[in-house]
Amino acid sequence: MDAEALLETAVREAGDRIRAALAMRFRDLDMAEEAFGFAALRAVETWRRDGAPRDPAAWLYAVARRRAFDLGRRAQVRERAQHDPPEPTPDPETILMAAFEPIPDERLRLIFICCHPALSPEARIALTLRTLCGLSVERIARAWLTTEVAMQQRLTRAKGKIRDAAIRFEIPGPDQWPERLDAVLATLEIAYAQAYEDAAGLSDAADLAGETLRLSGLLAQLLPDEPEVLGLAAMIRLAESRRPARLDDLGAMTPLSEQDVDLWDAALIAEAAGLLRRAADLGRSGPYQLMATIHVVHAARRETGATAWADIVTLYDILLAVRPSAVAEVNRAVALAEAQGAEQGLTALAAIDAPARLADWLPYQAARAGLCAKAGRVEEAADALRHALALHPAPAERLFLQRRLAELSAA
Amino acid sequence: MQYLLLIYSDEALREPALLQEITAAHMRLGAELAEAGAMVGGNRLKTSDTATTIRTVGGAKTLHDGPYAETREQLAGYYLVEAPDLDAAIGWGKKIPGGPNYSIEVRPIWPLS
Repeated sequence: MDAEALLETAVREAGDRIRAALAMRFRDLDMAEEAFGFAALRAVETWRRDGAPRDPAAWLYAVARRRAFDLGRRAQVRERAQHDPPEPTPDPETILMAAFEPIPDERLRLIFICCHPALSPEARIALTLRTLCGLSVERIARAWLTTEVAMQQRLTRAKGKIRDAAIRFEIPGPDQWPERLDAVLATLEIAYAQAYEDAAGLSDAADLAGETLRLSGLLAQLLPDEPEVLGLAAMIRLAESRRPARLDDLGAMTPLSEQDVDLWDAALIAEAAGLLRRAADLGRSGPYQLMATIHVVHAARRETGATAWADIVTLYDILLAVRPSAVAEVNRAVALAEAQGAEQGLTALAAIDAPARLADWLPYQAARAGLCAKAGRVEEAADALRHALALHPAPAERLFLQRRLAELSAA
Repeated sequence: MQYLLLIYSDEALREPALLQEITAAHMRLGAELAEAGAMVGGNRLKTSDTATTIRTVGGAKTLHDGPYAETREQLAGYYLVEAPDLDAAIGWGKKIPGGPNYSIEVRPIWPLS
């Protein structure tokens, strides 16, 4: 394997872990990023010249740690790190594993560590998505319907507080899990939504689909008495059950209402149903259980051949009362259009009191295009499609939108 | 009798010359207090964006990012603790007793460099 390929593998397999180990040790995420970047840059050159190291991950960690020490000495702010005795054999695994026991998965542990309650809820989630899921600031900003600049400021402020107030990056004991759980669930929810956006699974967020599926299942095993944990695990399973039906033969995205139900993953649907039953037995409802239930109504089309849109509208009404969001309002408007007619849906869509950024949110423009076309407002529909196409859709979504636009022009 | 003198100031103040003047004035006051035998202790705090508030409502404690901002409760006392990190300081903060509703603001001290 050549040096570049070796580095790529090491970064993919151990990058998160190394960055987290550095962040924990130096309590400075920016420095961890910078030091890790430096090590990766050095790696190719050195490995080409001297041959590949026995353990590329350990090599990267050792070089990055040395770099972080140098940076810290230069900035004279890392007093704590400088007091630590140098370690003769740095091994990220040992350092990490020594600190971790109660949560049997590395990434999940790191998510719990990052979701620190002394940071604002939004900052916790954004920081975790950035650091552990590798999502770009632009993507995270989009998930909150805010600007990249505003999100960057929030992240910078959070990192500043971690450094200046000396927040500890250590695994919290089980007694501290509840106060971190909401942020952990929201992190998994947003990470999955990013992967779901891309039906073909080609984007940089694509591998988060399988990962959030796995992590949410693990969390459900870990906390089987938390109904919202079960609800999130069910929701992700139900959404993911439709993946085999989300692309047509030409690679274009197929909308839910046009999907071939025989392609849906019956095993995932059954697993989700079991999780939701257990959640219901616990007798405490919440937004994730509600969202999962909406997916259940969609999934029922496999048996009944029809979608109970009126039920979906009602479920969205309850969801909006529990957890208001512009995203849920857009979805409710689409369901309302199916249940009562396109004009009702468009009225609901127009009534959304949302941040200005909603107009630049792709699902909003796609929904508007669909409803306008249904209502016979061809010009407005074409306008919304053009707007959606300008928002950098993933390839499969782009094909779908282009096809709709061509159909409108032909009509 | 001991008294706690609390300083409230504008964090947006950035003008270097003025800040220098204020620092020098603090040094002079510190010396004066010491000479008078009146100095017990004093510290500069880090800015409020490093603050964390432990809010107790009906006995249940939750953490919030930011300083104590409401005015219903009044300043009633303080503890100055040595702790390795914020988590440990919060751990002590949670042990500070009070009625059913009260807040503890945890703010790092600006280290003397």
